[in-house]
Amino acid sequence: MFDIILRNLSQRKVRTALTIFGIGLGIFAVIVMGSMSENFNQTFETSFALTADKIRVFGSSGVFGGSVTTGKAAEVRKVPGVHDAYGLLMAPLEGGGGMSFGGNQVVGLPPEKSQTVLGPVRVREGRDLMRGDRYVTVIGSSIATQYDIGVGDRIEIQDKYFTVVGELEYTGSFFDASAAVPLDIAQDVYEMGDMVSMIFAVPEQGVDGELLAKRIKLSVDGVDTLSPSELEEEAKQSLMIFSVITVSAAVLAAIIGGLSVMNTMLMSVMERTKEFGILKAMGAEQRDILLMTVGEAAIMGLLGGLLGLACGWVAVFGINLWLAEKGIVLFLITPRLVAVAMLFAILLGTLSGIYPALRATGMSPMEALRYE
Amino acid sequence: MNDAEPDIILQTRNLKETYMQGKVPIHALQGVDLEVRRGELVSIVGPSGSGKSTLLSIIGMLEIPTEGSVFIDGIEVTGVKTKAIPRLRREKIGFVFQHFNLLPALTALGNVEIAMRFARVHKKERIKRAREVLTEMGLGDRLNHKPSEMSGGEQQRVSIARALANRPAIILADEPTGEVDTKTRDLIVGILRRLSDGGQTVIIVTHDPWVAERTDRVITLVDGKVENS
Repeated sequence: MFDIILRNLSQRKVRTALTIFGIGLGIFAVIVMGSMSENFNQTFETSFALTADKIRVFGSSGVFGGSVTTGKAAEVRKVPGVHDAYGLLMAPLEGGGGMSFGGNQVVGLPPEKSQTVLGPVRVREGRDLMRGDRYVTVIGSSIATQYDIGVGDRIEIQDKYFTVVGELEYTGSFFDASAAVPLDIAQDVYEMGDMVSMIFAVPEQGVDGELLAKRIKLSVDGVDTLSPSELEEEAKQSLMIFSVITVSAAVLAAIIGGLSVMNTMLMSVMERTKEFGILKAMGAEQRDILLMTVGEAAIMGLLGGLLGLACGWVAVFGINLWLAEKGIVLFLITPRLVAVAMLFAILLGTLSGIYPALRATGMSPMEALRYE
Repeated sequence: MNDAEPDIILQTRNLKETYMQGKVPIHALQGVDLEVRRGELVSIVGPSGSGKSTLLSIIGMLEIPTEGSVFIDGIEVTGVKTKAIPRLRREKIGFVFQHFNLLPALTALGNVEIAMRFARVHKKERIKRAREVLTEMGLGDRLNHKPSEMSGGEQQRVSIARALANRPAIILADEPTGEVDTKTRDLIVGILRRLSDGGQTVIIVTHDPWVAERTDRVITLVDGKVENS
């Protein structure tokens, strides 16, 4: 039966090619948008894994309100079950001041806590920040690539020059786009006074992070906390919204591709009405006709999927290569994405072929034979 | 099973077919009773609109009669479930059409072989049998030619070979000589005659008295009724 399906497809080369192209375009969108979503997901998961043991303490006016001072860290540290607590200031590397939670950023941290904060990430070259450090920085791999700098070079932050003393390995997390500097210097250059973006509270060994987060909130005035699980949930919700928006757009494109398959198959079934009549007169069963028609649609879906995957991979690879110069990784094609996209393409083709196939099987053989 | 004589391969009883043309009922068949013996070469003749093709379609299980029964090889084919019809059609009937109705993308071999696919005949056996039957039809050297590369006579012989592929009980030929010249007509009728002499039952619907004269028996249909048989 497979040879008959291929023969039928090759009979209408241009139409088949256009339909495959339509599906391919949809799957291309799924791959590009999906890989962007996958990249964000992976960045979050890696970032989360690297800081999963810490409780975030914010000013009670909220994550982006940021009215928490370094002094609060000392209060947090006193809460039973807290092993350590220290403030972090996050600010955009380029452009104006203020706090930041995305893009290239400066992370102000107490130099003596450098190993604790950056600990999960290996220093590829140079060293961590140390007590007594001033205008020095440890940079992430993306910043090193983007600014084409390394250990010993200087980078300008808020009109001040910082010497790079260390370079972190690539992690696929927010650390890649971070430049760690001593906290007091960061507060100074960003004119933030005693303010920090958040306090990281490290639980003592064996202490439940969720309970400790609640305890901190109740024990320290004017703060709010995000336990590791709360952070994960909040971030996952945000990522979910992002994924839904990106993937929906892609799925819409793919469905349009699916409609083109249905259109092609309906035309094909109509044109081959007489052929179906002949096949039925020869004793073809309904399942033979169904298999033939749905098989054609499924193969168009498969070929469209492969085309979309190949084009998507080339586009993603090209854009990533181009963005690598700027130290940015925007797309990530994962096996999961490939599997979903291919399954979607085949399913879309198959489902789009079912209605035309049912029309083909439902024809009376006599009427089909009379069809001109 | 019917109670007909064992050598009766086809029997119709009170076959009626009525269809609506707009709001007007058309009685295409009005109680047709006929019997055909195994190996008989029968022609059905009659004026246009007499019900010849409708009768052939019902015998070939392409249409379901409004009323009445058809027995083929002892089986009441009008009484079986719809799902069983394709299998019965494969086993009992081989069609030869006026316009050949070959699949244009397939070669002569492919057109004959495809008929056996639906009977789930193994590929090796399909090719072997298709070659044999096409060679019998004098087309041994045209196996890999497509219909567009063959004459009308050759196409009709491929069509006959296809009808024979599944070794059916009856060959139903609807105006098999309607599209060919007299020389080819003689050849086609000769082939059908030879098949009948070899034990194959053949029923031909024709307008051509020359063809009808060369069959064992002529059934005349007028206004959906058998006038003589």
